[in-house]
Amino acid sequence: MVIRTDPENNETRALFDMANFSGQHVLEIGCGDGRVTWLYADKAAHVTAIDPSAKLIALARQELPSHLQDRVEFQNNTFEGFAATCEPAAFDITILSWSLC
Amino acid sequence: MVHALEEIHRLLKPTGILIDIHPVAESSPIEIHQGEKIEPVGDLSVHQWCSDYQHADNALTEIKQRGLFIVEREGMFNSLTYYDSVAEMRTDWKEAIDKFARDAQSIDESLPHAEAMAARAETMMQTAASGAELVVGERVHISCLKPI
Repeated sequence: MVIRTDPENNETRALFDMANFSGQHVLEIGCGDGRVTWLYADKAAHVTAIDPSAKLIALARQELPSHLQDRVEFQNNTFEGFAATCEPAAFDITILSWSLC
Repeated sequence: MVHALEEIHRLLKPTGILIDIHPVAESSPIEIHQGEKIEPVGDLSVHQWCSDYQHADNALTEIKQRGLFIVEREGMFNSLTYYDSVAEMRTDWKEAIDKFARDAQSIDESLPHAEAMAARAETMMQTAASGAELVVGERVHISCLKPI
């Protein structure tokens, strides 16, 4: 079963119209299986991507390419739980990725 | 949601940005694509069971009014999802409902409509040429907000 989402890359273009990810520390909230993460991760300095679904985080970790392993960190957590442990002013870019927090 | 946006404000550097991506509360058109030929199946009212994107919009409006963020840029784009079969589409919808449905009642109210759309798509796919794909479109809002 192969489901293709946005093969036209409309989302990628829209995302890069909004921000320059080069060298940035990014927090992605509601990353799911990493579908949006893969669009920009190779440009960022570091990505912390969180999702409350253990199943989707497991899928994202499976798909994580080796060249991004020291740059992208997937966490199975709620945003509330994550934020409670996080220092202020830690991120250059936060993405609410089809997410409701 | 408003509290979450306050927390995002705290976690962002003063020079940072928040990018919000979410579908707008519109129906999603379902079509069958066979090469250049496009046949409409109907509209899926996803937002009957997932009203929370409207709540997300309201929360963003509130934090802008409170002066926590300003909108630097915003835009819209179409996101199309392609399925080889109705079974794939049903499975994907089920996962989306499990993830986003606001309550059991909203699922019960919306499933008959979704199932009717799937049944119509199934009938149309049976007579479609080999290689036909089901395509579901969503209109998506993206915005870039700067903390103040």
